[in-house]
Amino acid sequence: MRARDEHKEAIVKEKALEMLVIQGFDGFSMQKLAKAASVSPATLYIYYKDKDDLIVRLGIDEGRKMTDATFFKFDPSMSFDQGMRVQWKNRSSYWLQNPISARYVEQIKHSPYREKVVETMSAEFKEVMGQFVRNAVINKELVQVSIETYWTIAFAPLYNLLRFHQEGKSMGNRDFTFNEEVMNETLELVLKALKP
Amino acid sequence: MDVLVFKTNLLRKKDVKVLTPLFESSDEIIRWNVDLKDIDKILRIEATCRLSQEIQDLVKKAGYDCEELID
Repeated sequence: MRARDEHKEAIVKEKALEMLVIQGFDGFSMQKLAKAASVSPATLYIYYKDKDDLIVRLGIDEGRKMTDATFFKFDPSMSFDQGMRVQWKNRSSYWLQNPISARYVEQIKHSPYREKVVETMSAEFKEVMGQFVRNAVINKELVQVSIETYWTIAFAPLYNLLRFHQEGKSMGNRDFTFNEEVMNETLELVLKALKP
Repeated sequence: MDVLVFKTNLLRKKDVKVLTPLFESSDEIIRWNVDLKDIDKILRIEATCRLSQEIQDLVKKAGYDCEELID
């Protein structure tokens, strides 16, 4: 078998993500991808076993990137306030810098491919975030609530702002652009709500 | 090892089943699968040597179209 061309493979991945996000899983075909990436379908099948294999492996790769970005310079032993600031900064930067990738991970989570991809990401999230949350409760920096309540208060407001940003519009069709000021304003309220 | 890729008109799992005994009796074929979700119904074969003609003959004999896609 001939050697894999990494540059070619990177183009294939980039085009595949774009097409999967814009056209969805059903509208996607290996032939269309081959055309878009200027490679032959035969080349694609050297890299990937089939369409499902490509979808899942891209999901695992992008999930890995998202996990790494989320935990950049984050330490679960940080104080609750500091840790939340790092998390918000990391999560928003990742979203803003990799919009296609972020949308792809979301798309995977709402699809039948979820199980195969999410299991590769959730162990690390569970371990690191679990430790962070447990420490914060012990140190009386965080109210004791269910993990679902915690996540909903702690991160859903951020993702909602990012969604507004992605659409360019908030409620009532108001123009909206995400910025640090609105992020910090929201984060302060979140931190207030989670204090014991 | 070679990866061989063929465009076929295999439509359903039962079509794939027809080919199973044919491929499984070959010592040269290490792994094979058909991408039924893809429009080209790609038959992908990993083999120890280039068997393109043999595979095309085998699939055609079973009553299906089979055309190798060259890289």
